[in-house]
Amino acid sequence: MTIFPAASDKGPPAPAPDIIVLRRLNLFYGTFQALQDIDVTFPRQAITALIGPSGCGKSTLLRTLNRMNDLIEGVRIEGEVLIDGQDIFGPDVVLTDLRKKVGMVFQRPNPFPLSIYDNVVYGPRLHGQPGKAELQEILERSLTAVEMWGEVKDRLKTSALSLTEEQQQRLCIARVLAVEPEILLMDEPCSALDPLATLRIEELMQELKRNYTIIIVTHNMQQAARASDLSGFMYLGELIEIGSTGDIFTRPKDSRTEDYITGKYG
Amino acid sequence: MHREKFIERVLLLLALSSVGSLALITIFIFLEGFPLILSVGLKDFILSSHWAPTKGHFGILAMIISSVLVTLGAMIIGVPLGLSCAIVLAEFSPKRLKMVLKPTLELLAGIPSVVYGFLGVIWLVPLIRNYLGGPGLSLLAGSIILGIMILPTVISISIDALTAVPDPYRDGSLALGATRWQTVSRVVLPAARSGIITAIILGMGRAIGETMAVIMVAGNALQIPTSILDPVRTLTSNIALELGYAAGRHREALFATGIVLFIIIMILNLSATLITRRR
Repeated sequence: MTIFPAASDKGPPAPAPDIIVLRRLNLFYGTFQALQDIDVTFPRQAITALIGPSGCGKSTLLRTLNRMNDLIEGVRIEGEVLIDGQDIFGPDVVLTDLRKKVGMVFQRPNPFPLSIYDNVVYGPRLHGQPGKAELQEILERSLTAVEMWGEVKDRLKTSALSLTEEQQQRLCIARVLAVEPEILLMDEPCSALDPLATLRIEELMQELKRNYTIIIVTHNMQQAARASDLSGFMYLGELIEIGSTGDIFTRPKDSRTEDYITGKYG
Repeated sequence: MHREKFIERVLLLLALSSVGSLALITIFIFLEGFPLILSVGLKDFILSSHWAPTKGHFGILAMIISSVLVTLGAMIIGVPLGLSCAIVLAEFSPKRLKMVLKPTLELLAGIPSVVYGFLGVIWLVPLIRNYLGGPGLSLLAGSIILGIMILPTVISISIDALTAVPDPYRDGSLALGATRWQTVSRVVLPAARSGIITAIILGMGRAIGETMAVIMVAGNALQIPTSILDPVRTLTSNIALELGYAAGRHREALFATGIVLFIIIMILNLSATLITRRR
């Protein structure tokens, strides 16, 4: 299978092991504090899962990393988020470049009501004027990366909305890969899918992590246990603990983590 | 139980009465106007521009062309204005501003058309006469006034169409690094296309049916215009201007004109409905 060039090839000569660094991140919606003093780093080319009960701030944290929270009125953010060493809230940050670098897959598949072709090339067309041949190459590469090329290569002009939910979600992932991000944020990407489709998306994530840093928010603890290298447990806006997935699920340090993963609440 | 049934019947009757009056109007104008179309011949009625009803000439071509041109002019002015207004309000304004401005714009629809006509006569017509020439009362004046009058229809329905586009489309686009304008032009507008086309068609229906304001500013000369500064008489103007003194075949010819208008507007509304339903 064709794969994208490793993200780290394009970065500085010797990239730091951690691609994302958060320092004392606090986030408020009006007077409500949604994130409290988050201090954490995310390593390159690994899958980090964020788990925790509804409303614990895990989606908020995810949406901070590509500044999608900026769209919400009355949001206030304190602290630092460094991606590749650059503060994403700094004055010289170009928002569109940040979002190109930090791609996002949403909870429900949200392909545009356009053709499969137009969905995949949407991003590349935003960021330049690629020629037809170049677009064709991006198209094939992105759809191959999500293992869809064979299925759809003969009907690229049909509406993306005619695909199954799983195919739609794969298409959304392909659409993100087409702009060659370094980081993939996945916000419960399987919550609209059946168990088999979920498993196949998880397999896809394992393929993708060779080239991308993946951060996934999930409600599904089995999913976190199966699919991630690192897991972080969040509760009431705080990141309680983060560590290797094996440790978090077998030897949690904090009693709240233990209570959550053993099903006492959540 | 008994009472419930009774109330249901009464409500049904009331509901049917509005459909019934529409049916009666239709039957009435067809009964009054159709015999003339039959006796003159459809071809001589709509493809001749010789209108001398007291001498037996009933060609309405000049008025059809004038109506179409005035409407077209109104669309050229009103659609870009209305659509950009809708885009700004739906996509680029804070919610609170939209909540104030949308009802205000809809209020425009409540201003009587004679007021628009009045403003046209005292302000727009002299402006055209002094700066562009001609009598001022013209195709151009009619188009501008109608273009303004269709704004509330175009804006309001376009805003609804844009608001109906699900937010995940916008999020998906922004998250790929699109700017807001790229998101609107490449995803939101295509997704709202059928609703926007409906808005345009309904605006067109309103423009072609408008009478009072057009009579006041368009000049009402019976001719096929050769310039936008020429005065024109539309189908609706002609009916309103002549019905007062028309009798016999002349009167029938005005009803027949009504049939033509009726059919045009039916086609416009029907296509708007079909486009909306296809969504």
